[in-house]
Amino acid sequence: MLALRLARGARPAVHLLRLLVMAASGGTGFLLLCVLGHALTHPEAPAKSLLRLAWCAAPLAATVYLAVTVARTDPATRPRPGLSAIGLGPGRLMAVSATTTALCSVLGSLASLLLFLYLRSDPADLPFAGDAGRALAPGMPLPLPATLTLLSLVPAVTAGAVALALRPAGQGPWWTLLTGGLGSRGAPRTGGDGRHRADGGGRPQSTQAPADGRPRSAGGPDGGRPWNTRGRDDGHRTTAARHGVRTRARARLRRGGNGSHALSAELDAHAPVPLAPAQEHDPYATTAPRAVPGGLPWGAAVLAAGLAVEAYASRSASAPGLVLPGGFADSPAGVLTGWLLTALGLVLAGPGLTHVCGRLLQSVRPGALRLLAGRVLQEEAERLGRPLGVLCAVASGAFALATVDSPGARSAIGPFTTLGGLLVTGCTVLTLAVVVAEARDSRAHTTAALVRLGAPATVLRTAALLRAGALLALFSPLTLAIAALAAAPLAD
Amino acid sequence: MVDQPDSDVLWARALTHAHNGSPALRGVSIGVREGEILAVSGPRGSGKTTLLRCLSGQFRPQEGEVWFNSTPVHTMGPLTRERLRRDRFGWIDPEPVLVPELTAWENTALPLMLRGTGRRAAKKAALEWLERLDIGGCARKRPYALLHSERQRVVVARALIGSPTVLFADEPTAPLHRAERAHVLRTLTTAARSHGITVVLATHDADTAELADRTVTLLDGRRVNTVHLPHAPEAEGRAACSLSV
Repeated sequence: MLALRLARGARPAVHLLRLLVMAASGGTGFLLLCVLGHALTHPEAPAKSLLRLAWCAAPLAATVYLAVTVARTDPATRPRPGLSAIGLGPGRLMAVSATTTALCSVLGSLASLLLFLYLRSDPADLPFAGDAGRALAPGMPLPLPATLTLLSLVPAVTAGAVALALRPAGQGPWWTLLTGGLGSRGAPRTGGDGRHRADGGGRPQSTQAPADGRPRSAGGPDGGRPWNTRGRDDGHRTTAARHGVRTRARARLRRGGNGSHALSAELDAHAPVPLAPAQEHDPYATTAPRAVPGGLPWGAAVLAAGLAVEAYASRSASAPGLVLPGGFADSPAGVLTGWLLTALGLVLAGPGLTHVCGRLLQSVRPGALRLLAGRVLQEEAERLGRPLGVLCAVASGAFALATVDSPGARSAIGPFTTLGGLLVTGCTVLTLAVVVAEARDSRAHTTAALVRLGAPATVLRTAALLRAGALLALFSPLTLAIAALAAAPLAD
Repeated sequence: MVDQPDSDVLWARALTHAHNGSPALRGVSIGVREGEILAVSGPRGSGKTTLLRCLSGQFRPQEGEVWFNSTPVHTMGPLTRERLRRDRFGWIDPEPVLVPELTAWENTALPLMLRGTGRRAAKKAALEWLERLDIGGCARKRPYALLHSERQRVVVARALIGSPTVLFADEPTAPLHRAERAHVLRTLTTAARSHGITVVLATHDADTAELADRTVTLLDGRRVNTVHLPHAPEAEGRAACSLSV
């Protein structure tokens, strides 16, 4: 119920994102149902149906990626000091996030089921007739267990992934073993989340905010304290010491101190220094320059290997069997492996490339504009680079597909492939947009300070445009080149 | 309407401002003379920060007027106020807010670079100011590697580097220890006096207010001459309920 209440009170933008997650999981669920329909109408060829099922992994992965990103940036489930104080700590918030995501996915799946049933009932009106229409298996009874299993797949996987990604920090070694040390909430290097907490939940993020949420001192009761369990423990203070401090403060009050302020000043002055590890109270602790993302050599190596595998596989006689559903060209397993390796290489190289981009941007005697643009890009490389790499991989795949498909016209791309492609592309683009918004939010504090200094809004806007332009200038030729290389072996 | 006195560089009349309905300022009038250091004192929540933000053009007061050098600030558009802040005003936050990706000297030189000064000149000025504030050795460090007091000094240098006409300092020494507090304040006031910079200093600290030429006291959003808080009585029901938890 709490998840519902928190979900209901969210801003329209958040609702829109959840709606998009719903749509994505609905689309994936529809594709899965179509696979079921294909299996029903083609009982003689289970291998083909299995292959189609395997191809559904791509939209599923994109949907999960989007759902996890949306859940991570959802302000409703961001840790808040007040909630933590009443016992709604990281664990419960993770559960709330997972429930919200599962709810969205289930609704999407139900919508897809309704659409599927509607289209089945009246196949004559289908936008796609013939072979594709048969995948809906009109006139055949739909087996309930299979439908339920397929439809529950997307909600289960997304909710599980969200729970895993947002699990509280410090859950013991088995978590780390299980997840391979992926970033989690509360870890010092989680990027946006970590920085948000370090900035303090209630700190005003804009110049218009009143000044009452401002942390007065590093040891203030609600200022900038991260919600980590370690930070909450102030067991260093003994009862006797606290009593002593308050007595002194009261004595000073009686001597004519300055209202409640004397008490708090006195308490601040006597706050034990090791209240918590120092870095947790330091807003700059999370801003240490990150190590240069090390994935670039690996990414380049995997990319090159992928292209080589692909070229080699296309030279040898094409092995039959692996056909893209919707009737795409005969794609031998080697070529597909090559494509997958290429995509993996791009994803690995993304952060490194972004970092290089930022470095180039601020090199050679930069002014304020290039300095702000480049350094920020360098810092955000890890966060932005990964979805950028994914987007590049998807874009190069789509480009290669289009170039191969158009001239020879070996076969048309079916409606389900189009739907899958749209899902994957849309999800990756959306994920990138959400991550960009997250990065902007995490810098809102610094931006507000720059505005107070009188930094023109145009400078800040131009810096953002410069970043986007630099990334575009680096990544679009790269994507086109890789797409051309990937398409070359298939075209001839 | 009362004319603006000639010696006042910044002048406000009957400022009233509320944050989303909660009143912060209720009819405050104030005049800041050229070259003086004016302390705005008062307990927390008395409207010091709101007053400074109204004076510096960050907030547009809901009622009342703000004049800077015979120019009305309260009628200016956001872009004009932004340029005024950049060219004529300096601002120091209670917490040192630096751009974490830039080094200390780059942070310091930022106002100059934003005004279009060349990189070499801005760097030279920034290094000079950092040297003057005894943190010349930290010029190439990033904010995460600095001590809190060093960060605050970088902020002071950043505020002074553009030689603003008026410098607004909103509790500039709140997060510092007493010794560092005195040092930072002394450098700030000395630099301001030697460069003829007018300073409006918000503080709740009587020691800090002593450094100023004049003190204006706020209480509950109103200007008062002397603060007579009721003498703190014995805690209510103290015999029944002890605070020593």
